[in-house]
Amino acid sequence: MEKINIKIFQVVGSEVAVSSEKGNEIFEQIDKALENKIMVDVDFINIKILTTAFLNSAIGQLYSKYSSKELIKALRLVNISDSDLVLIKRVTDRAKEYFADKEKVDAIIKEVIEDE
Amino acid sequence: MPKKISSDFNGFSSLSFIHNKVKGLMFEKVIFDFSACTWFEANLSAVLGAICDSLAMGLNSMEFININSRIEDILCKNEFLKYFGGEVKGDIYQTTIKYRRYQSSEQSLFKDYLDKELLSKEDMPKMSELLQKKINESIFEIFENAITHGDSKSVFSCGQYYPQKNPPRIDFTIVDLGRTIKSNVMEFLNRDMPAAEAIKWAVTERNTTKSGNTPGGLGLKIIRKFLEVNRGEIQIISADGFWQQDKNNSIFARKINTTFAGTIVNLEFNIDDRYSYITKEEVENLRNKDIF
Repeated sequence: MEKINIKIFQVVGSEVAVSSEKGNEIFEQIDKALENKIMVDVDFINIKILTTAFLNSAIGQLYSKYSSKELIKALRLVNISDSDLVLIKRVTDRAKEYFADKEKVDAIIKEVIEDE
Repeated sequence: MPKKISSDFNGFSSLSFIHNKVKGLMFEKVIFDFSACTWFEANLSAVLGAICDSLAMGLNSMEFININSRIEDILCKNEFLKYFGGEVKGDIYQTTIKYRRYQSSEQSLFKDYLDKELLSKEDMPKMSELLQKKINESIFEIFENAITHGDSKSVFSCGQYYPQKNPPRIDFTIVDLGRTIKSNVMEFLNRDMPAAEAIKWAVTERNTTKSGNTPGGLGLKIIRKFLEVNRGEIQIISADGFWQQDKNNSIFARKINTTFAGTIVNLEFNIDDRYSYITKEEVENLRNKDIF
């Protein structure tokens, strides 16, 4: 399997990765690679500030399309600080929870629509 | 202006009352009379600035009169009065964090401002790198919230360093005049609720008004957890709701008499904090475990 490196700094153009808009650009790049069966190193070099708004878009959104298992296989976080790792763990935990809830809600909505 | 305006329930209620009184005016001359005011916490310049900005949109002119010399001095030092033709004074003791207005696309400028104003003051106690990072991240979460949830074009900010408090603290206030938390939460839940309840809902773990494929419901909770450990404080005022988590981690939520057409978030950080925030075990566990 091929592998690419996505440098967040290069995409964001700053050491501050905070907006959901920029997070979405990272998501789109990772998504494109994963769709083409290419492994990704997400590189945090020179990134000093991260927010959950950015990470929810960049990483959390991946759970809308990919399972934990697929992401473990294809994604690696590199040059990341300990405190950012702790933050990302909270984001991925939250994303799993969010999409599990969303599936339940979507199923209920579907059921209601079908009953009508 | 009332006698005392602090970063508390009464102070925010007063500012909300003022905002309400002048809202919607056009082509008027608005005078802010400080003759009765003997105490104005400088970080609240962000709220006053937002009020004045909405007045400027209505092509009103503004004047500040009878300001006592101590308050005037600090409003010159933090460059608030500069926006209204006032003079700029040097800040020898470096206790002010300048009043600024940023557009939603100016995150990099906002970062430079925080670096310069908040984190590199010589007279401040030396903060650990991690504490600086946590403070920066908390502020940026609020900045982003103002833009995404408030759908606001401008964000107003100002801070103040209080070295005489024990432990020394920084107050930092961020204001937007966009959609209120109440209207976002009510629209999402599709039911009526008081503003203070809506804020309470929004700061509760897992709750988010976001839908679609991007998860939410984390930023404010991480800030709350950080401030709990840091023994800091947070106050949120949006529409006619006031919500606070104080340094003892007690929660206080209440209705205010008038509606503030936007959201104010005041963060108070304890900057003499030696807490390490992440434990070795926590990181070891993560390194050994799949993050996904």
